[in-house]
Amino acid sequence: MVTYIIRRLLWSILLLFVVSFITFVMFVLLPSADPAVLRAGRQPTPELIAAIRENLGLDKPWYHQYYVYMRDLILHFDFGYSYQNNIAVRETIFDRLPATASLAFGAAVTWLLIGIPIGIISAIKRGTLLDRGAMGFALLAISAPVYWVGLVSIYLFSEDLGKLAPIFKGSGQYTPFTQNPVEWASALILPWLVLATAFAAIYARFLRANLLDVMGEDYIRTARAKGLGERRVVFRHGLRSAITPIVTIFGLDLGILLGGAILTETVFNIPGIGRLAFDAIQKSDLPIVQGTVLIAAAFVILMNLVVDIIYAFLDPRVRY
Amino acid sequence: MRRVRLSALLVGLVAVLALVAAGCGGSDSEDSGGGGQTQGGAPDKGKQGGDLTFLAAADVDYLDPGQSYYTFGYQVLYASNRPLYMFAPGDEEPQPDLADGEPQISDDKKEITVKIKPGIKYAPPVDREVKTADIKYAFERAFSANVPSGYASSYFADIEGAPAEPTKGVKPISGITTPDDQTIVFKLKRPVAESVAQALVMPITVPVPKEYAEKYDAKAPSEYDQYVAFTGPYMVKNDPKTGKVTGRDPGKRIEMVRNPNWNKDTDFRPAYLDSITIEEGNDDLTVASRRTLSATSPTMCCDSGQPPIPVLSRAISQNKDQLGRVSGGGTRWIALNTTKKPFDNINIRKGVIAGFDRDALRKTRGGDFIGPIAQGFIPPGIPGYEESGAEKGFDGIDYMANPKGDPAVMKKYFDAAKQEGVTPSSGGELLTIATNADPGNQTAQVAQAQLNKMGFKLNYRKVPQDTLYTKFCGVPKSNYVICPNVGWFKDFIDPQSLLEPTFKGAAIKPQGNVNWSLLDNKEIDDAMTQAALAPAGDERSKAWADINKQIVEQAVAIPYVWDDNITLWSKDVDGAMNAYFSGPDFSFTTLK
Repeated sequence: MVTYIIRRLLWSILLLFVVSFITFVMFVLLPSADPAVLRAGRQPTPELIAAIRENLGLDKPWYHQYYVYMRDLILHFDFGYSYQNNIAVRETIFDRLPATASLAFGAAVTWLLIGIPIGIISAIKRGTLLDRGAMGFALLAISAPVYWVGLVSIYLFSEDLGKLAPIFKGSGQYTPFTQNPVEWASALILPWLVLATAFAAIYARFLRANLLDVMGEDYIRTARAKGLGERRVVFRHGLRSAITPIVTIFGLDLGILLGGAILTETVFNIPGIGRLAFDAIQKSDLPIVQGTVLIAAAFVILMNLVVDIIYAFLDPRVRY
Repeated sequence: MRRVRLSALLVGLVAVLALVAAGCGGSDSEDSGGGGQTQGGAPDKGKQGGDLTFLAAADVDYLDPGQSYYTFGYQVLYASNRPLYMFAPGDEEPQPDLADGEPQISDDKKEITVKIKPGIKYAPPVDREVKTADIKYAFERAFSANVPSGYASSYFADIEGAPAEPTKGVKPISGITTPDDQTIVFKLKRPVAESVAQALVMPITVPVPKEYAEKYDAKAPSEYDQYVAFTGPYMVKNDPKTGKVTGRDPGKRIEMVRNPNWNKDTDFRPAYLDSITIEEGNDDLTVASRRTLSATSPTMCCDSGQPPIPVLSRAISQNKDQLGRVSGGGTRWIALNTTKKPFDNINIRKGVIAGFDRDALRKTRGGDFIGPIAQGFIPPGIPGYEESGAEKGFDGIDYMANPKGDPAVMKKYFDAAKQEGVTPSSGGELLTIATNADPGNQTAQVAQAQLNKMGFKLNYRKVPQDTLYTKFCGVPKSNYVICPNVGWFKDFIDPQSLLEPTFKGAAIKPQGNVNWSLLDNKEIDDAMTQAALAPAGDERSKAWADINKQIVEQAVAIPYVWDDNITLWSKDVDGAMNAYFSGPDFSFTTLK
């Protein structure tokens, strides 16, 4: 197991290199805005642009810029400075991370709490009105874009704009946990629900399908034949097997969200990694884009690794 | 350029949703928005105290007065700093702020002397009185590579000893002298004191204490932006010991509080409010606008210049007192590259303008809610506007006569071009660079449809707005032919600052070029050189209006709107709009 983890970590580092390289090359070679000209203002002289280019290190060949970036990153964990406001990227990212983590973990708990019970009940009550209703709703939730769901929920349920039941805090209300835990939670309830809606629906449908497959297996029939209660058959034997693939997608989903839930963060004005990346892309702020992409990739890779390890515990057949 | 930032990619989607969410219950009023007129001047009387929240999508560009150059940045800057001169809401002429009277211009127009008021102090930790040496240093640092100002070399290059290139480190400028702590003298190479004096309203004149700032300016780029020494009625919250700005978290918020060292007796600003908190990241303008209109605590919105049209149309009919309007002080147009076929032919250009439905272009930005159809390149509120025929435009220019397009006039000019062997298809596929974000994206699509209908074939490419300026339309070598999303807004109240950078041949640059039509006409250039020397007043206005006419006669661009900037506020706010920076003025805004 240890060898496996070390091997995976080494591959992860290589992967991060590749991701950073691709991001860098995309910005340099594709026609994004020129940060030096952007900073130079209204009527820049060529000399002014050249001076800014030199200040930002953009006068060097791209491979040299990349080398300097990676050198600073590896030796000093330094992600560089924003082209826009000259603020350290590392500080900015770590400043934004708690908001994204709050959103992602809260939403993850929410969708698991909603999706798994619905999936189980639908599988057990297959073909009933309950099952059809739940799956129909799930289909609707999957089809609805999160951006739209977010806006509609604001217009229906937010304290300031809600027309139906103005009971939740709406856009721009995020408060850090360290500042006020109650405000933190109350400001995130609506974003959690919105972000969790589609995921819960996917998980419910996925779990239902898996559970139905598993419940037709021979060992389930054997368990029933041995006289085990239905609850024990479902939860002890059926669910344990059916939920294994869920763990895989859960890890990936969580990893992706930790890299920034751009749409939800934008609709609810949550100052997280996703919005930071979105703003940086608009402003061609490569150091910020590079930093957020690397962080996002690192989360996906890390969660993938965690999932693989958990897999071994969940499924006795898996050995590394 | 003080381009109003766009909250790019999401606006289109929001607009659709807004139509459903906001428009359905709104009014279909066809009332004109009163484009071009200011609504929301300085309140007659105010209420001392109160905290205001301003909902914004983006962050300001800089707090550093040497670098700040965008509309939103100016809103913060002019509330927290004191330049030599500034405009109050409703002013047509600037008032002395740091200065203690009008600038004294020598007879030969080559020297400007300004006295400053005593008793104006910096906020902590600097805590000392402002001296003219601080203004001199502010100018010198703006010419350095580490700061560097986006306009110093444009408007102040005529100061004797002004560096032609950004300097390594901050270097003295011989043409700026300070005979005493209250006097500063600018010596000029040419007799252009009138126009340089006009530019003394710009943030470059905000004092910067050398002994405090030079260690930050030694860094490349300068770190003074994070340690600004404020002089205005407000300041961005800072650490009073180190001066480090703690009240700005880019992309999240800016907290402005009262400057404890501000002396009200030296200032004409009432500064009613106790604090202003700018909440950033409100990318969804519909949500932010509606939050503002229904807010129960003092709120203002937005930094985009214009709220979404459904919200705006509803606000105009139902929330008239919650809306401020001021001319954006600029023009939007479609630039035709006069060096490329077929637009190197003037008859083709005139034909295109004649056939264009410019009202349709304006509708993509909000129609008559948003301002009048542009008839030239001097917008309302700028000297030379009235002399240019105001909203009616110049007489006798048939291809500008009908804003909805005139097929007969178009045909007349296309026929004339045909006689010269040029047709709309002469240039093959014309590289057209459009923005990918609404509303500019919609404007470009309307332009594309109209050009196709006229017989032009376009190689139509959509890119982000910043890419459009920095990689294509601002780079003549990129071989663009049409740029449908360009515009230019004033830096100060003078037509020269609008026409010279955008239409003077000598202003064409290999990068960062804003003479997008690449107009290089000696007659116009010479007229500009002459007009630059004209004294402020009727003579100057007339001279620049004549140049405006010459440009329109060259048919190098399709002007389509002089748009207003609109700010919304909650019921408990009495907002003030400042025409100089085309936005709300926090120093004059009050609670009801």
